[in-house]
Amino acid sequence: MKYRATNFRRKLKPYIMLMPVMIFIIGIFITGLVFGLLQSLGYFPALGLYEISLDYYKNVLHNTDFLSSFKFSLYTSFVATLLSVVLGVLLSYLIIYTKSKRVKGLVNVYKGPILVPHTIAALLIFILFIQSGLLARIFYGLGIIKDMSDFPPLIFDGGGIGIILAYLWKGLPFITFITIDILRNLDEKYAKVAANLGASHIQVFRYVLLPQLFPTIASGFMILFAFSFGAYEIPHLLGASTPKALPVLAYIYYANIELANRANAMVINMCIAFFAFIALGLYVLAFRLLKKYGGA
Amino acid sequence: MRKLLKYMMLLMILIPFIVMLIWSVTSSWPWPHLLPRNFSLRGYFYAVHPTTKAFTILLRSILLSIIVTLITLTISIPAARAIAFYDFKGKSLVKVLILMPVIVPMLSVAMGIHLTFTKLGLANNYIGVILIHVVPGIPYGVKILLSIFELNGNKVEAQARVLGASSLQTFRYITLPLIMPGMVIAGSMIYIISFSQYFITFLIGGGRVVTYAMFLFPFVQSGDRTMASALSIIFILSIALVVYISEKSVGFFYQKSSKYYV
Repeated sequence: MKYRATNFRRKLKPYIMLMPVMIFIIGIFITGLVFGLLQSLGYFPALGLYEISLDYYKNVLHNTDFLSSFKFSLYTSFVATLLSVVLGVLLSYLIIYTKSKRVKGLVNVYKGPILVPHTIAALLIFILFIQSGLLARIFYGLGIIKDMSDFPPLIFDGGGIGIILAYLWKGLPFITFITIDILRNLDEKYAKVAANLGASHIQVFRYVLLPQLFPTIASGFMILFAFSFGAYEIPHLLGASTPKALPVLAYIYYANIELANRANAMVINMCIAFFAFIALGLYVLAFRLLKKYGGA
Repeated sequence: MRKLLKYMMLLMILIPFIVMLIWSVTSSWPWPHLLPRNFSLRGYFYAVHPTTKAFTILLRSILLSIIVTLITLTISIPAARAIAFYDFKGKSLVKVLILMPVIVPMLSVAMGIHLTFTKLGLANNYIGVILIHVVPGIPYGVKILLSIFELNGNKVEAQARVLGASSLQTFRYITLPLIMPGMVIAGSMIYIISFSQYFITFLIGGGRVVTYAMFLFPFVQSGDRTMASALSIIFILSIALVVYISEKSVGFFYQKSSKYYV
């Protein structure tokens, strides 16, 4: 801070260092969202359409296809995420509290699904749960069902069980992955003390571990929910023809030749992005809590 | 009881992999048999056979994702340093902006930018696909490198500068060896994310740019379990191989130079 000039340079430096990343974030990511918003309002300058209107929103939001898709996406994403979080935390708790000497390597199996793409996750669920799949064969072998048509259709079904299972198989290990180290540290610091003072397992979990773990769980929930709400592969591969998940519906509109449908697609995209932004807001909030209470 | 529950959950995660492995070498497995009747390597032969182009697509796809990874890492280093060592106006906004691609779906972004990419000549070619692939990797690159910078601090670098090292020398001999472990982790993450992208590749690449993830997709869709399983296993193995080689080679290159400084 000897000279004004160097002071100025120093102030400018972090912005220069951030520039390359920001070119991508603002130039592609933010621009993509803003142009999507403009197109959802019917603004297509390339095609000579400059008028902004809310007609497409009115159209789409009253469309029964959209409404059933919306409910379907909300339902599958929410159930899959909730199950992932509950079971994922349970698994990391179980891994920490039941240390076995013999088969240490097996525990690392849980990291596998994190590295596997959604397309392959869909394939795995297909292989296991289709009506001619392994589970149906086991049921047949046990005499529970007489024919493959007796097995409930879990894949390509309006109930979305296949989609939920695929997201669960991917999401559960992710939650275990982000919570296990924190849980291990907490265990060493506080849980043993609480247990020494006579707290039961459930009490330790409810009053000692859960409050500290909460911000991490909340942020994990937001990431998984927003992702599954806006991802294409799994509902395309495992979903029914009706109702379609929102991202699948958006692409069908988008690929349509009619221009109005492109605007409709953008309305759906904005709806997906809107929910993601709510999740982002909650994520940032959870992170503030994390800083405040020093969970990690 | 608790142990039983743990192993049951781990098995639920593991069993699908094993079943896929069996399907990948099956030639006939009719209902309602619990084990295949006949085995064959049809899927794997298909993947390496020159007429199917599967192998070329795989190699091209690996190269594409390596380029994406290198670009993402290169731009993430200065950004992570800026966040770690400088205080500036708008820092919390920058952090949120960088985090955003984790949460806001790329599907909506890609459809929104598609028209612009077409106008700029970035649609239906490799450049456009590389550019769009960089975006989802940025949060991971910056976040992982940021935690490494925060852990190491910048005292060693400052010392080198005081002793007369140029900024380039400091970067080459101090910063890079220090952050290499983080670079390998971040690089692996970014590589996997890029290699797995289906929708944005397909939209921006317009079907002209065929990555391995896109090549695999119709096989899964058609329900040809043998082919889809074999191609999926090759998919996973190729990721494991690339990550393993990069880890080893980085370890080999930096063993010598880091020995003196760290």
